[in-house]
Amino acid sequence: MKCENDKVQLMNWINNEMTDAERLAFEIHLADCPVCLQELDAIQHTWRLMGEVKVPEPSANMSARFHTMLDTYKEMQQEKKRPFAGIVEQLRRLWTLQPGLQLTYSVVLVVVGIGFGYLLTRQGTGYANKQQVDVLSSQVHEMKQMMMLSLLENPSASERIRGVSYTSEITGSKKEVIEALLTTLNNDPNVNVRLVTLEALTHFAGNPEVREGLVQSIVQQESPLVQSALADAMVKMQEKRSVQSLKKLLQQKDLDHSVRSKIEKSISALNI
Amino acid sequence: MLKVKNGDLDRMGLLFERHHRQLFGFLFHMTNQRELSEDLVQNVFYRMLRYRHTYRGDGEFRAWMYHLARNVVHDEGRALKRTVNQSALGDSAERIGDLTTADEQILKKQELAVLHKAMAGLSAESREILVMSKFQELRYHEIAQVLNITEGAVKVRVHRAINQLKNIFMQMETKN
Repeated sequence: MKCENDKVQLMNWINNEMTDAERLAFEIHLADCPVCLQELDAIQHTWRLMGEVKVPEPSANMSARFHTMLDTYKEMQQEKKRPFAGIVEQLRRLWTLQPGLQLTYSVVLVVVGIGFGYLLTRQGTGYANKQQVDVLSSQVHEMKQMMMLSLLENPSASERIRGVSYTSEITGSKKEVIEALLTTLNNDPNVNVRLVTLEALTHFAGNPEVREGLVQSIVQQESPLVQSALADAMVKMQEKRSVQSLKKLLQQKDLDHSVRSKIEKSISALNI
Repeated sequence: MLKVKNGDLDRMGLLFERHHRQLFGFLFHMTNQRELSEDLVQNVFYRMLRYRHTYRGDGEFRAWMYHLARNVVHDEGRALKRTVNQSALGDSAERIGDLTTADEQILKKQELAVLHKAMAGLSAESREILVMSKFQELRYHEIAQVLNITEGAVKVRVHRAINQLKNIFMQMETKN
């Protein structure tokens, strides 16, 4: 006996993959078809037996392995998001693997540091030194000036001469110094001091106050040595304004003979 | 899975907890090797991560998972000569301890051993569709999605596969 019914329906029925209408029609057919019924039994037996086949439990290790894999994958994704991370890592590895590079880099750093520090110190020291020297030099200058002024008032003639000698070391022509020297020239009781003072003042010959002071000093001098020296100084300075003062000196009756002659020569030299 | 696709990789842990047993079952039935099946489960989930951008979200996640699993089995199958895992048979046999008599237990054990052999004798295509239908309890429309065929074709293939198994099984029983 043969059955023309579609045998595919057997599994559709077992798996409940039929519409209600299909199911009804198939079950009606099944009731009258021993061939289909027999085949259904055989299939159902195999199908049910398959259900007896059990699957072993996966090991607990499987879950742990999965989570490890997931974590690793997430880390990889994070690294991909940082495109330079790979390059940095490679550089880092290269750095770690090459101790020579580290040593060279350290040496270069030290050398550059020392060089830079040396340059800075040198520049800084030079500048600072210059400033210090300037300050010191100006302090010494001021001290010498003060010493000179105080020495000029010293009762000892030799100290006063020492004071006058400091003027050669004083640069420029400070008003206070010139005034002190002129005062000394006119008033100092010692001839030698006055002579040294006159010599010192001739160094400031370029200063009009000095020239004026010297001219006026001619008539105030009583010492023949100082008078002669002043006459020489006037000739040297070619100070024609001194002629009148010198002539006044000639009018003095007690004027030293040699001085008189000296002054006359000086007047004639200045009048040329 | 759409969240995983959009970068929330932590969600993959949830999918693993939900589906790994079912996936392991499928792979075990396909390979009959427990350790290998565990390896392949890892492989499938790795592919899910790796190819998550290919998940379109228009079908069921399970269909996509079996699609990947089939590819993994296929790749593995090239190198793998299918063997019947005797220990698995033993496990199955041990679980029929509720049968009434010792004779029945022995008979059932023998029957299951024959069924294992019969299944091993099936073509990969037939075994696969039966596993999906019987063990994974996939509906025909789901199997159609996985295999990318029509539902009608699934019906025919299931019918053909169960007949093939039944015939091999019956032949073996007769010999015994």
